[in-house]
Amino acid sequence: MTESPQRAAPSAPAAPATGATGAPSAIGRLVGQRVRRKEDPRLLTGHGRYLDDVVLPGMLHAHFLRSDVARARITRIDTTAARAAEGVVAVLTAADLNPHLVGDMHGTLSPDNPGPLLPLAEHDVRHVGDPVALIVASNRYLAEDAAELVEVEYETLPPVVDMEQALSSDDIVVHAELSDNLCSRMEEPIDDELRRIFDTAPYVITETVLQHRYLPVPMETRGVIAVWDRHTGQLEIRISTQSPHDVRTTAGRITGVPEHQIRVIMGDVGGGFGQKAYVARDEQVVILAAHKLGRAVKWVEDRHENLVAATHSRTERVTVTLAADESGQLLGAHIDHLDDAGAYPVMGSGGAGAFVVMMFSGPYRLPKLAYRTTSVYTNTCTRAPYRGPWQAETLAREQVMDVLAHRIGIDPVELRRRNVVHRSELPYTMPGGMPIAEVSPEETLDQAMTMIDHPGFRVEQARALDTGRCLGLGIGLYIEPQPGMGPYGSEPAQIRMQPDGHVAVYLGSGSHGQGLETTTAQIVAEHLGIEPEDVSVHQGDTDATPYAFGTGGSRSGPILGAAVRQTALVAREKILAIAAHLLEASPDDLDIDGGVIAVAGTPAISVSLAQVAMTAYLNPAGLPPGMDAGLDFSSRYQAPPFMFSNACHACTVEVDPVTGTVTILRYVVSEDCGVMINPNIVEGQIDGGVVQGIGGVLYEHFVYDGDGNPLTTTFLDYLLPTAAEVPEIEHGHIETPAMTPGGYKGVGEGGAIGAPAAVVNAVADALRALGVESLSQPLGPARIVAAIEAAR
Amino acid sequence: MDEIDIRLSVNGEPVHGRAEARKTLADFLREDGGLTGTHLACEHGVCGACTVLLDGEAVRSCLLFAVQAEGSEVTTVEGLSPPDGTLSPVQEAFWENHGLQCGFCTPGFVVSVTAFLRRNPDPTDEEIREGLSGNLCRCTGYQGIVRAVRAAARASA
Amino acid sequence: MKPSRFRYHRPGTIADAVGLLAEHGEDAKPLAGGQSLVALLALRLTSFEHLVDLNRIPELQGVSTDEQGDEQGAVTIGAMTRQSAVERSGDVARLVPLLARAVPFIGHFQIRNRGTIGGSIAHADPASELPAVALALDARVLATSTAGTRTVPASDLFSSTWTTTLEPGEILTGVTFPVWGPRSGFAVEELARRRGDFAIAGTVCGIRLDAAGLIDRAAIALMGMGDTPVRCHAAEALLVGSAPDSAEPAAVAAEAIDATEPPDDIHAPASYRRRVGAHLVARALASSIREAVHG
Repeated sequence: MTESPQRAAPSAPAAPATGATGAPSAIGRLVGQRVRRKEDPRLLTGHGRYLDDVVLPGMLHAHFLRSDVARARITRIDTTAARAAEGVVAVLTAADLNPHLVGDMHGTLSPDNPGPLLPLAEHDVRHVGDPVALIVASNRYLAEDAAELVEVEYETLPPVVDMEQALSSDDIVVHAELSDNLCSRMEEPIDDELRRIFDTAPYVITETVLQHRYLPVPMETRGVIAVWDRHTGQLEIRISTQSPHDVRTTAGRITGVPEHQIRVIMGDVGGGFGQKAYVARDEQVVILAAHKLGRAVKWVEDRHENLVAATHSRTERVTVTLAADESGQLLGAHIDHLDDAGAYPVMGSGGAGAFVVMMFSGPYRLPKLAYRTTSVYTNTCTRAPYRGPWQAETLAREQVMDVLAHRIGIDPVELRRRNVVHRSELPYTMPGGMPIAEVSPEETLDQAMTMIDHPGFRVEQARALDTGRCLGLGIGLYIEPQPGMGPYGSEPAQIRMQPDGHVAVYLGSGSHGQGLETTTAQIVAEHLGIEPEDVSVHQGDTDATPYAFGTGGSRSGPILGAAVRQTALVAREKILAIAAHLLEASPDDLDIDGGVIAVAGTPAISVSLAQVAMTAYLNPAGLPPGMDAGLDFSSRYQAPPFMFSNACHACTVEVDPVTGTVTILRYVVSEDCGVMINPNIVEGQIDGGVVQGIGGVLYEHFVYDGDGNPLTTTFLDYLLPTAAEVPEIEHGHIETPAMTPGGYKGVGEGGAIGAPAAVVNAVADALRALGVESLSQPLGPARIVAAIEAAR
Repeated sequence: MDEIDIRLSVNGEPVHGRAEARKTLADFLREDGGLTGTHLACEHGVCGACTVLLDGEAVRSCLLFAVQAEGSEVTTVEGLSPPDGTLSPVQEAFWENHGLQCGFCTPGFVVSVTAFLRRNPDPTDEEIREGLSGNLCRCTGYQGIVRAVRAAARASA
Repeated sequence: MKPSRFRYHRPGTIADAVGLLAEHGEDAKPLAGGQSLVALLALRLTSFEHLVDLNRIPELQGVSTDEQGDEQGAVTIGAMTRQSAVERSGDVARLVPLLARAVPFIGHFQIRNRGTIGGSIAHADPASELPAVALALDARVLATSTAGTRTVPASDLFSSTWTTTLEPGEILTGVTFPVWGPRSGFAVEELARRRGDFAIAGTVCGIRLDAAGLIDRAAIALMGMGDTPVRCHAAEALLVGSAPDSAEPAAVAAEAIDATEPPDDIHAPASYRRRVGAHLVARALASSIREAVHG
């Protein structure tokens, strides 16, 4: 055995963080611990590398000129003055750029999207914000100056802005290429059996639940830098994205550059929440422009654009008819779901109507379900997925359960207890045919009710009412799917141990806040007997990383985590086999600890990971006979088509009956995401989703007027909650491991699914004493007062 | 283009650039100063991501023109950590308490919190939340941030 | 969102500043704290050929007091004095408590570090605190141009949304707040969607008792209830001369709101503003009276 040169020993264990709530859930030395994040030091000191931080030589700056009318014919466009302006290199209109497109702009996953989609608006505009021209100049200030010199004349036409109107009338059709505004529809009509149930059930209620338009609003707006070098034939794209490989695929499709000559680099990404999960039309325009001009072109979206012209979500209506027996057990339901796709939806209809239907029964026994789900075009901004895109099912179901409970005269908690699927009934097949297993809705309901002291609250609520104070309790109980079909089902991980015993991991993911560098390092370090500091995690460069569909759909914990774990275990096996050979011991007798492999109980008989690695790379003669040299490992994990996690959100509120203001008193979450890799990260994901849900219900509302003009175009009018508006969120954990390696399940979207239901139900519960029977979002104070006045 | 000579001190170092009067301090710091830690997330003075210290006081650098900072001392997030690469007490508290996720709002929070605790070293929870209300975050729900401020206040008590 | 081009001027004296405004007329705009103006420029909702930066004029800074005994005193604040400096001023807290209590409602501390007393009053946003405070306290504003300096009572200052009676070429150089003296009580009540936002509806109130313990001065000014801050003289008249414990805050509040025409906008309809306005005025009056009586 050759002497190995001195290498830095793997570092001493770092103290796990204890700052967050509760004790660490101790699964392993690292997995399950509140390990501090690897990402943080660079982000805390201002040394992150976000898209706008990148400066390339000769880079030009792009700025969009956008329509300020919702629907109009473009009768004249003259870019002469703009092209002559200081610093301007090009002003591109549809005539200049659209012929450059060689493939379909629709998302890679939505080949059947019937709606038209072009780079720049050609003969007409179909929503405020529709891009009409791209100005490319030496800096953004000059590009904006030049935009003011573009002369555009519109012949305005009446737009359709309301989704119900778009559905019911063909008078105004958003896309002249189509005969109506129908984007998609799926239907399973009420059959004879369900008709009989509705005719005879002791309780049949019909409620219409509305959800208004609100937006993902990541703190970092979208942005892209594209560079086309015709001499090398290389297209290089830097982008704030959740899916770097899909950017490569899309860029190749639209420019004709073959994918092996395209490199996409994702650096640090300042949030996405679904808005950056696909390649936006604007980003595609910039890539096409760079390709056409043969230059480096940078576009950074400003906040006004991000609110008006990026992606919108949540505009939905669900009409629910629910039938129950005398004790409140559900017998059947019909849901009629409508969502507003905007003018240019992405990911199919942009919504997730099929998932709304599939998940509607959630955690309850529901024998029969009929449905209709429709998506319509309107002259408004693109609809795209936003954290938990199907969450209208939980909102509608949970709101209607409360209404049913009050109709029957029982506590909404009791009604849920009577209907929740028990552990003993799993697997349970939902009415749409989807089986759910390894979930614990009843346990989370119980835990949440204990945490929030449900019985004590009812006493407090009654007492408060005597003094004219309105308190309320609301619940959002749900099951959350993590899709594993199609491109979402496979996730790779590549692990390389370097000759000095340190480890590099390569992932196809697109982390944008979830701490994937940290959780990956925890898993690898756990199984290789080293520390997270000894592991570097690489993602986002398509030249270096394996193909994957990016980060979204709450997949990173379950699917990526499983891929990393399984690859790490293969690595461990080979390392131990080499060590066993070097030590003339059995692999079963060996442990790895602090980077040193030793025979259990006899520390003197040991070899370092560096020595094993050096042997593997530089002295293969020292390896066991027949073993390949090297310590590189690569595998893909294939997920089951669906996995489920679940949670119960519960909150208490006080509503001021005079001003309509809502104060959240307590907010608790009992969640089950299986085995937690890092409880800080789990809780952080939940917290972020919860506050987005609170924001959506109480503060955030994107408003168009009747002419399709946006009224909430800055943060002065589109209101995000601040630290002063949100409560302390309390966490309880139930752990039902997944059947997948490691047992991890997803958690990223749940907060945004459960919170709206919990908050709306709490407000409704508080107002019931004032005679308010039915309540829908948005729930700003003026609307609450209007509901109170209407009930008088 | 009418450019003006601008000289200021940033994180204790002189910075000299030429820029139009309309160039914001935020853009000047990022481009002419090469300090990209200060982020732009709204450019209309609401979100706080661009917060820097101007002569020691927290301000929104998107609402200042670079030329207005002539002769002043500006501190950005890069200037808050000690030169040896370790973290300031506020930065350390954010790290310990999972006070960041995507990190884009974080420099603005770190600078704001540093200024806030200098003036109010022993705040109540309500004062903390009010003090944080000028900075927006979309990832954390503010939970880890509030914990971090409490911890930072305790640590320097 | 980058602003349009402008020529930048940095005068060192008031005389230089008004000289520049006279020279460039409508094409010039004074730049005070910038917390409103720079945002508007960035959004290209407005633009000017010339910006006259007032931030380096020492004559425009500072708090000075003129205490001539209980009821004759006044506090004069230079127009470019930062809101944060006023917030920390012991003199202001002691002598003009309503102003001291109102300033913390303005935005967030980062805004107050740059925002100025004069800038906020000259910006004349009907939903903001300082115009209402100036109106309630019968403050006087000093306005200077190349033609000289004149004094404008707050009651003559606000003509419409974001519009004052300042003449072209005039800048607001100082604000003088009368001292109300002992046996006074004040309150600020506002409802905003979030901490630090502009008021949907709000009020600042002051009550003073004479030596006999009767109300001899009452001030009610409203925010967010019109296109300017609103002073409620008719409602105040119901209080003056009466004993504190016979005052009916709810009735006075109803009178105050009755005369208003609040706006309808995406944040609230007029009816909501009236409802909340009445509620807040009643609360503010009760609290002011309590403080005036008990100290």
